[in-house]
Amino acid sequence: MDLIGGLLRLAATRPRVLVVPMPGATAVRVAVEGELRRRGWPTAAVPAEAGVLFVTGGEVPGFAELLDEAERGMIPPACCVRARRPGEAAEALDAARRHLANLDVQRSAARARADARRGGPQDRGAQPAGGSGAPGGQDRPHGEPHQGHGERGAHDPEQGGDQHQPAEDAGHHGHAQHGGTAHGHARPPAQRGGHDGHGMHGMGGMGMPAGLPMARRGEDRDGLRLDRLRLPLGPILADWPAGLLLRLTVQGDVVQRADVETVTGWDGEGGSWWTVPWWRARSGEPVTVGEAVRRRAAAQMDSLGRFLAVAGWADAATTARCLRDDLLAGTPQEVVRRRVGRFAHRVGRSWTLRWLTRGLGRLDADTAAGAGVTGPALRAGGDVTDRYRQWLAEVIEDVAGLDDGSPLDPTSAEGPRGRLDGRRPPSAALVEVLPGLLAGAELAGARLIVASLDPDVDELIPQPVGSAGG
Amino acid sequence: MNSSRNLSGRQVVNPAPLWSVLLAPVALAGFAVAAVTGDAVLAGRATGRRFAVGMAVTPLAEAARLLVAPPRTTVAPDRLLWRLGGAGVAVAAVLAVAVVPLGDRVVVDLDVGVVWFNAMEVVTWAAVWLAGWGPNALFPLVGGYRFVAQGLAYQLPFMLALITAATGAQSLRIADIVAAQRQLWFVVWMPVAFLVYLAGVLAFSFLGPFDYPAARDIAGGVLAETGGVDRLMLLAGRWLLLTAGAAMAVPLFLGGGLGPLLPAWVWSLVKTVAVLAVLVYLRRRLPTIRADRYVELAWVVLIPVAVAQALVPALVVLGRG
Repeated sequence: MDLIGGLLRLAATRPRVLVVPMPGATAVRVAVEGELRRRGWPTAAVPAEAGVLFVTGGEVPGFAELLDEAERGMIPPACCVRARRPGEAAEALDAARRHLANLDVQRSAARARADARRGGPQDRGAQPAGGSGAPGGQDRPHGEPHQGHGERGAHDPEQGGDQHQPAEDAGHHGHAQHGGTAHGHARPPAQRGGHDGHGMHGMGGMGMPAGLPMARRGEDRDGLRLDRLRLPLGPILADWPAGLLLRLTVQGDVVQRADVETVTGWDGEGGSWWTVPWWRARSGEPVTVGEAVRRRAAAQMDSLGRFLAVAGWADAATTARCLRDDLLAGTPQEVVRRRVGRFAHRVGRSWTLRWLTRGLGRLDADTAAGAGVTGPALRAGGDVTDRYRQWLAEVIEDVAGLDDGSPLDPTSAEGPRGRLDGRRPPSAALVEVLPGLLAGAELAGARLIVASLDPDVDELIPQPVGSAGG
Repeated sequence: MNSSRNLSGRQVVNPAPLWSVLLAPVALAGFAVAAVTGDAVLAGRATGRRFAVGMAVTPLAEAARLLVAPPRTTVAPDRLLWRLGGAGVAVAAVLAVAVVPLGDRVVVDLDVGVVWFNAMEVVTWAAVWLAGWGPNALFPLVGGYRFVAQGLAYQLPFMLALITAATGAQSLRIADIVAAQRQLWFVVWMPVAFLVYLAGVLAFSFLGPFDYPAARDIAGGVLAETGGVDRLMLLAGRWLLLTAGAAMAVPLFLGGGLGPLLPAWVWSLVKTVAVLAVLVYLRRRLPTIRADRYVELAWVVLIPVAVAQALVPALVVLGRG
């Protein structure tokens, strides 16, 4: 089996890594991303293409089952590693590579899977194994509530035969209750019932292909009755704010309703890593303006990187993240200022990006003021285009002040997402305006809107009393 | 001008021997691998690192991993259609390149070569949509429909560009189109058609600014739930399509194998590599162009411009004869 071994070793040189950020682990995530870029390892967007599931941060109660599902969604050879502190990133990646390149480990894992499959009740029939390697070439079931349901053909005997029209014809969505492990939630089907008064289906109202109920219908913006699907976005999704969960009701790919949830119940240190200089100044430690400004510029670069990745401009996103790492590593002002200027010029001048984001997610001043939005989102006062351009402008301004050694005024509290001295954290206001902005947007637009606001769930977790200024 | 009209395609391009049927897919795959490697190197350079051999190895490592991985499945997929979709993309690319001449040899010399190429490209509509429908999951389904939406935008200008080249040569046979460029390459007096054609190539291989069906914001779209060899087929199919489109640009607009000094096949190779390099470079320069915005631009701006461009060779040909 030398060919397989050779292929495994080749595959292990540069595995694709899916970075799963836990709430409260921003520093670790930034370190891991920087390490991946230094090594030249590609990143994955979904568990399906990942070879390594890298969990950054400690255990979070709500996340355990999501992580399990993501791990099940990966195809072997694959492994799962965790780093709790920024310094552990490099050795975790090395351990992952050793594990993936280890033929014996992979073979025994494949044997275990083959045994489990033989011993299990379901047999997927005469499906030929597509992969020819040591891992055994078996199909891996996806989504735990529906083990053992076979092909769609399984539901044909229930129907009348040739009168049966698959539900996919009406509206254009089938029984896709969960859109895959990309968002890590295998929800038990939330709706029951068959079709609403469509006689042509001839199914007697009890069609349940593969054990999943059909989607219910609802009115849409054009007055049609289309299937409504529940789609959870996050918390395990590429380029998504950590700890944010959006429950969308979609018809087609248009969002009808969005409900925002944040993963809480996490009892580590509160507060966002990006706003640490201001909290330190509040608690009396000497902090320079340069430090605070550097951290804020890095936060804006992080948000910009995420936004550009969602917009599909991978190179610009990579540049933004490189600049973020440069800023955090303490690169001198002259060097960073030049690079940031070039980047901001390129992205700011991009007519294509402006054309693509114009008119999306318009946040008018009253709604913003009512929710208590502060910071760049308020100052930009407009749509997604205005917001990312505001970020660019503020980064340029901040980078000009990196060498400022004067002490940070404890009363000044302008963090990357807004003022820190309000009655609630700035991200809380951003999270509150999200559902209003998302209703009626398409999926792509919805992701752009979330990325242009980029709420930080860590800010929503209250600071421990000792370090907060009040 | 009259002499080029009398020159028939047969004097420029001849059918190749039978063993070239095997050589063509291999050559296509070779170019596609070169394109993927170039793309990986550009991606590596974008991170600010200097060129290293490791950058070029990344796609090979990925392919190796997908080869040894078992296929992945979802709940109640339509397995047959899923596999058909994934394989169909690569098959369409190989079939499309059968009419593209390399130098002065072509695998199949069809009288309607341009139409055959377009037909094979249209097969990708079905293939990508099936690849999105098969997994029975939302993100791939959205990706499949996004491809159709994008198709509505790019297909008509693309066909007009093909028609422009065919009008200039007064024939749908690719050999005749090459022969008609003896005096002047079509790209010189049909530049708009050339640009529209290149955009169409990026669009039907859903790469670069037109990777809307497989975009990162829907977690990979049609690629979100595939794994193993199926995934490798779909990924490879995209790059094979890009290569086939780039190869076709050469006889259509860049004079095929015509050129001084060097043999015809060398010129074909050089021109194909040049077009591929331009496409791979351009693909990283723009964000993902969403079909809902692009449809407006395509129908309001590109189609009239492409029609106007198609009038140019029509008037020239009328003026000549």
